[in-house]
Amino acid sequence: MESNWAAEHLHVIRTLMERSAVYRRALAPIMIFNGVLGTAAAVVGILMRIGEPRSFTVFWAAVSMIALVGSLLLVRRQALKESEPFWSPPTRRITQAMLPPLAAGLIIGIVAYVEVASAPQNVGNVMGMLWLPLSWVVLYGCAFHAAGFFMPRGTKVFGWIFILGGCGLFAVGIPDSIGRVHYAHGIMGGFFGILHLAYGIYLYFTEQRRNEL
Amino acid sequence: MNPEPFLQLDRVIHEKGRLAIMSMLAASPELSFTELRDALGMTDGNLTTHIRTLQEAGYVSVTKSFQHKRPLTTCSLTPARQKAFTNYINLLEEIIQQAKAK
Repeated sequence: MESNWAAEHLHVIRTLMERSAVYRRALAPIMIFNGVLGTAAAVVGILMRIGEPRSFTVFWAAVSMIALVGSLLLVRRQALKESEPFWSPPTRRITQAMLPPLAAGLIIGIVAYVEVASAPQNVGNVMGMLWLPLSWVVLYGCAFHAAGFFMPRGTKVFGWIFILGGCGLFAVGIPDSIGRVHYAHGIMGGFFGILHLAYGIYLYFTEQRRNEL
Repeated sequence: MNPEPFLQLDRVIHEKGRLAIMSMLAASPELSFTELRDALGMTDGNLTTHIRTLQEAGYVSVTKSFQHKRPLTTCSLTPARQKAFTNYINLLEEIIQQAKAK
């Protein structure tokens, strides 16, 4: 009798401890914002024919900065609305989890920007148009998967889609039928645009309001 | 069954509402009043009463500040009582182990 009661108490304690550690900001608006931004950026990149590896790197670095600032502003707005600290312990944990892979993506981008100028054209094209976006995709997936330990369960799955999708496209290479510029921007738009948008719409209809249990 | 572990359970944190607050705070360095209230589905008055009891017993420390001109109340476990809560969990596990061993 007492052991049943103790087991139930322990179960409740563990459930509440997990819930306390989980990040509860609504992700749907953040995902939709990033999805729209990523898709629009890919279209702009293709239409403006941003085809040189260095300009490609700068263009998408600028887009990622806008995405980062926009996401932080959305998180801040939610925190203000709830009269809660922006830099809360769950936010700190998420940031710490995501930082190493995102930092690696930034460093790889900088290295590519510096090195690609002196590389032979064919090497530069491969670096800038295949290797670079897919590295970003895989590292971004790793970042999301790491954050998924402190976020709702679907976040890890989202991370895995990036990791497996990026690695799969590495194996396939650039198909002959698709121009390398279209392919590179297509990768970025597909992963950072359409996938985010799809996940955002899914979350919009399924995500529990943070005030709910 | 050895009744000793059961008798050692701390009454202050044994109550359902206070145990829930302690569980939440044990997994997070600090939580705001609204975070606790919303996660546990408690009323303001109920949560205030439980937090006051925990504070008086030395389990919880409460910090009041202002953020963007709005009052912000944050709660955290006191270091000494974090250990007490760990002991509480250990006692529960001991009770379960004793029952399994029978």
